Amino acid sequence: MISRAIEERLIRLYHQGKVYGGAYSGVGQEAPGAAACLAGEPHDLYAPLIRNMSVHVGRGAGPHHLFRQWLARASSPTRGRDGNIHHGDLSAGVYPMISHLGAMLPVVTGGVMARRRRGIPCIGFGFIGDGGSSTGDFHEAVNFAAVFDVPVVFIIEDNKFAYSTPTSRQFRCANLADRAPGYGIEGHRADGNDALALLDLLARLADDIRARPRPVLVAVDTMRMRGHGEHDDFAYAPRELLESYRARDPIAVCRDALLADGRLTDEQWHALEASIRTEVDQAAREVAAEPAPDPRTLLEGVYAPS
Amino acid sequence: MPRREITYLQGIREGLQYVLRTHPETVLFGEDVAAFGGAFKMTTGFLDAFGADRVFDTPIAESAMLGAAIGMATQGLKPIVELQFADFATTALHQLLNNAGTLHYRTGVPVPLTVRAPCGGGFGGGPFHSEELEAIFCHMPGIKVVYPAFPSDARSLIVSAVLDPNPVIFLENKFLYRHVKEDVETDIAPVPLGCARICRPGTDATVVTYGAMVHTAIHAAETVAHETGAEVMVLDLRSLKPLDTQAILAAAATGRVLVLHEAWRTCGLGAEVAALIAEQAFHHLDAPVRRLTAPDCPVPFAPELEAAYRPDEPTVTEALLDLLET
Repeated sequence: MISRAIEERLIRLYHQGKVYGGAYSGVGQEAPGAAACLAGEPHDLYAPLIRNMSVHVGRGAGPHHLFRQWLARASSPTRGRDGNIHHGDLSAGVYPMISHLGAMLPVVTGGVMARRRRGIPCIGFGFIGDGGSSTGDFHEAVNFAAVFDVPVVFIIEDNKFAYSTPTSRQFRCANLADRAPGYGIEGHRADGNDALALLDLLARLADDIRARPRPVLVAVDTMRMRGHGEHDDFAYAPRELLESYRARDPIAVCRDALLADGRLTDEQWHALEASIRTEVDQAAREVAAEPAPDPRTLLEGVYAPS
Repeated sequence: MPRREITYLQGIREGLQYVLRTHPETVLFGEDVAAFGGAFKMTTGFLDAFGADRVFDTPIAESAMLGAAIGMATQGLKPIVELQFADFATTALHQLLNNAGTLHYRTGVPVPLTVRAPCGGGFGGGPFHSEELEAIFCHMPGIKVVYPAFPSDARSLIVSAVLDPNPVIFLENKFLYRHVKEDVETDIAPVPLGCARICRPGTDATVVTYGAMVHTAIHAAETVAHETGAEVMVLDLRSLKPLDTQAILAAAATGRVLVLHEAWRTCGLGAEVAALIAEQAFHHLDAPVRRLTAPDCPVPFAPELEAAYRPDEPTVTEALLDLLET
């Protein structure tokens, strides 16, 4: 919910011309990241991509932190050196993505190897899309992790479009989970819009691979609900397909399930929603007034001091 | 201090053994480096000495190797990755350029990673086992590039590279592995990154060079001295990034400069050095800065073709004699 509220606010800021550069969101794809964060431990490592705002939120990044990054403030996590969703916080176990899809998967694999070598019972969560699953790095990383029995959950979010390219031009197999046996690992399919079912699956897999280290592949069925970025009108997406996923919005699916089994009341839900909106709106206003980076800092930090 | 003779390969090997012995956070991996000891037998015995969790073989997957190394470097390890040949770095350039080279700038997290890359020709390696890609590496922000020419420097600089908190590409000239020997002291002398060295003094002209060409330049300078009495300085750059600009500008004071490398000409290191001198030491020059490099063509296989491709002692001597007459 926090992820959705932040991204909806960002989309509004973009259309008001207040976001420098593009605006990319994971609206409709919040469930896998949220479930992975709940399934993990504080010492686990995550490699989210542009649709995974929910991972940043789930690992503790608050609205101020996230708006600073998007609005390129001096105090942003990258001090204005990178934009939008290209950030992370290694103290929270989150790697900052680069744009080259697949490239973060070997990095999180190596990070898990190093932490485990130091005796930390760490596992990793690496995110990729249907489009990114076509890259050489995806293959190299999954195979690498398989060879060394590195406990990483590789989560492929099949969100139906890579920018404008449909999945028919990305893969020929029936389901991306079918690739797992080729790497000698387990593959699982899941409904990417059912956060509670995903949490059950990922928590079980996390416990399992923490005890018996090995990578697993989880292909989730979901759909990107907006264009690649806000500059993209998404006209290429079939209306019926969009509507079918809109009817199964992950936040509504989760809310209905929680209300149905009595774990949450209507009043609690509305109160939660209202408090998140207030917090997010306030953060957006405050961050907009913060200073931009000083051009004199341009060359700072190219190298770590020797 | 007792002294003994070691090869260039032994220099690197001893430097690696030193860091593996003294820094438990170092790990070494790559293709065929463990039980087999590496394609050039650089790491023979390392598996037994340091154990399978610190010295291990990987799949043939340069991007995964470098990506994993970057991940390890962010989590307290100091990985040393061997690319079997520098040529194969091209299948992982995006990990170097985009992940390793930008991470500290973007997030303040250091990436203490060393990539060892055997490079260079002169032994019939053909187009894909002889490349000199240093200009590509030097173009990348956030990356350091080291290229020793002598066994003592190779031994010292591999230690400096591994202990540096930044990604360092350590270029090893394959031709020099067993061709160059040097008397060294038992203790490894510290040599910082970014420092050139005058390895032959001279006042009449300067050769700015690195790698195997340092030795070619020294031999050519001896021939020139014998034939004409002119004394040619040879400046061994040792580190290509950061470049020791002060040493280059000081060396240009002879008034005649030849920049020599076995890498391709266009946008090569020679262009950078020549531009630096033109910008900041033009007033010292008695003649235009010359470049002697490999031509802009793939590295050929046949010995007759490779001999025509790669600068050698006669062509360097000829270029120096011509420069001295200008």
